[in-house]
Amino acid sequence: MKKGTKLSVAARREENWGWIMVAPTIIGLLVLNLWPFVQTLYTSFCEHLGFGHYKFIGVQNYVDMFQKPEFWKATWNTIYFCILTVPVGLFLSLLVAMLLNAKIKGKGIFRTIFFLPMVCAPAAVTMVWRWIFNAEYGILNQMFGLHVNWVTDSKVVMIACAVVAIWSNIGYDAVLLLAGLQNISKSYYEAANIDGASKVTQFFQITLPMVSPTLFVVMIMRLMASIKVYDLIYMMVEETNPAVTSVQSLMYLFYRESFVAGSRGSGSAIVIWTVLLIGMITVIQFIGQKKWVNYDV
Amino acid sequence: MKKIPRILSLVLAITLLLSVAGCGASDGKTHLTFQIWDVAQRDSMQAICDAYTAKNPDVVIEVQVTSWNEYWTKLEAAAESNTMPDIFWMHTNQILYYSDFGMLADVTDLYDDVEPNFYQDHFSEISIGNAQGSDGRMYGVPKDKDNIFLVYNKEMFDAAGVAYPDEEWTWDDLVSASQTIYDKTGKYGYMAYNDDQMGYWSFVYQAGGCILTEDKTRAGFDQPGTKKGMEFYVGLQDYDWCPKQAYFAETAPGTAFFSEIGAMYIEGNWELMNKCINFPNMDGKWDIAPMPKCPDPVSGDGRATISNGLCYSTAAHGKTKDIALDVLKFFGTEEAQLLASSYGAAISAYNGTEQPYFDAFDKAGYDINVEMVMDQFEYGVQNVNNSAKPKWKSPVLDELNKVYNGQQSLDSALVNMQDIVDTETAKKLAGD
Repeated sequence: MKKGTKLSVAARREENWGWIMVAPTIIGLLVLNLWPFVQTLYTSFCEHLGFGHYKFIGVQNYVDMFQKPEFWKATWNTIYFCILTVPVGLFLSLLVAMLLNAKIKGKGIFRTIFFLPMVCAPAAVTMVWRWIFNAEYGILNQMFGLHVNWVTDSKVVMIACAVVAIWSNIGYDAVLLLAGLQNISKSYYEAANIDGASKVTQFFQITLPMVSPTLFVVMIMRLMASIKVYDLIYMMVEETNPAVTSVQSLMYLFYRESFVAGSRGSGSAIVIWTVLLIGMITVIQFIGQKKWVNYDV
Repeated sequence: MKKIPRILSLVLAITLLLSVAGCGASDGKTHLTFQIWDVAQRDSMQAICDAYTAKNPDVVIEVQVTSWNEYWTKLEAAAESNTMPDIFWMHTNQILYYSDFGMLADVTDLYDDVEPNFYQDHFSEISIGNAQGSDGRMYGVPKDKDNIFLVYNKEMFDAAGVAYPDEEWTWDDLVSASQTIYDKTGKYGYMAYNDDQMGYWSFVYQAGGCILTEDKTRAGFDQPGTKKGMEFYVGLQDYDWCPKQAYFAETAPGTAFFSEIGAMYIEGNWELMNKCINFPNMDGKWDIAPMPKCPDPVSGDGRATISNGLCYSTAAHGKTKDIALDVLKFFGTEEAQLLASSYGAAISAYNGTEQPYFDAFDKAGYDINVEMVMDQFEYGVQNVNNSAKPKWKSPVLDELNKVYNGQQSLDSALVNMQDIVDTETAKKLAGD
């Protein structure tokens, strides 16, 4: 349609209805996502005096934040958590997806079992894992005759949290990857078999390139979720736990600032910092994907 | 085109109608909500509500229980949007924050028509202090009073051949009894963990120190008595008979005690009935004793127990404020407080209404020396608070945590804790 062309009455009516149809989503997005973001941005430049009263203080929250050792520790903890969970999680999910894609008996049951953690409430999952990890009475230490303080030793607590995170997410990621795997045409493998390519070669030359777009999406989602990790750590590690500073993520710190101490200004500054962090990492990923993600079918 | 506004207005009209219908309950009565955080006190709270509604049949009160952590997040959000529950419990941790911001109704003159000196005549100084704002006005009707004491396992004391703790017990007795029990039975002695109200606070006051100065404007972590109390308390985890902080992060002292793993811990009287009901197999195996005293305090007689108390409050600008105030007025009377006591969940604040609390244990057949709690009020210390407490409570706990896991010395923690409390308090005072 050319510019300046007047729409017929019917076309205009249709356009209006189009807007009405998408209105719920757009309004929801604006009211529930965009507006709170703007508010958070504003709040990060304010001091919270109490009960919704704010005083504008410029960048003071950010200045204070960058000087706090706990803040840098929390940033590192968050990145460390990502390093621990994302590569291992992706590798295991891909492995599970490939196994579920293979010709094995009871595939449906396995798929259900691997997907089950996704259906459980994270809080309930964590409570069970806490009992497994319990240093005195936990099944893990009892079974292997160990005496590791899984959730109270500052050196291992992050690994314990990472294990739970990986365990909870494998099923969901595997289902997504499975969908990607099933889109690969069988003919590639048949041709490879005729040419005498080994299974390993087939994996690296066919499976990996063909599933890479799905893998990329899963990786971005997993990274974002890992940077935003909160509920798991909050449930695993209480405030009086001596290891809390070694595992406290940015979102945990945000919770303690905003809701325990009531300093919503500095809490919002942490959120904005996290948004920037996610933004930066995602940009790097989109640049990096050109090197390894294959969109040609 | 005209159709769209017409449809919109219709939708709007229907929503409006529905919301109006939702507000005015169809029975023509006034519906009040009453928010509390302790599920163990639901019955006693329901009882006093029923007593009120029996006299005022046009009022319906619904008791709602929210867990402690959620309670404060919810209440603050509700306060911001002026949708607070009609009646709710207020805690000393938060009352100054809420009252200084004008969120709570002033109830100082609530009883002026019947008894002008009502509060002074019927409540202890600590109870009144726990319900006061920074300006000295009353922002809640005193509900209960509590203190903390030593809980001990009689069987373990018997097995180790150690005499039960009594009011003459000192810190030295606590240490030597713990050692003997550990040596003879292999069980833990006194389980001292990182906590303020249930931990080092009482010991600091016993040693003649303080957490906040009298005028609440500064911390007392730089005072010799405070240092003495903290050194003793924090040092307890150096003994073999005390579990380490890492242990307590996974197992609460109360859990360890009632699993018969340790011989002693500190508990508050509000938990007693709950513990009796939940651990029937431990009935008769345990008892309670006064807080051990400091043998050589810097000042004072070495005795102290942190005494806290809640109050009933209502919002300053609530829609049903008048009726809510009338309910509060009833909740503060001897009749309501006697009734609340009789459930054994909390000791009512009104002087002379305590006995039913103690009787409740006899009636239920629990063999515990509960009367001792009453004697301890004599040297009770008001639960520490000032208006900046929500800001400094967690950071102070973190500093002490670093001492427990060996990241810093107690001396440097004391300096930091002093600094944290002083800075936050000064900020708060400057903001007012």
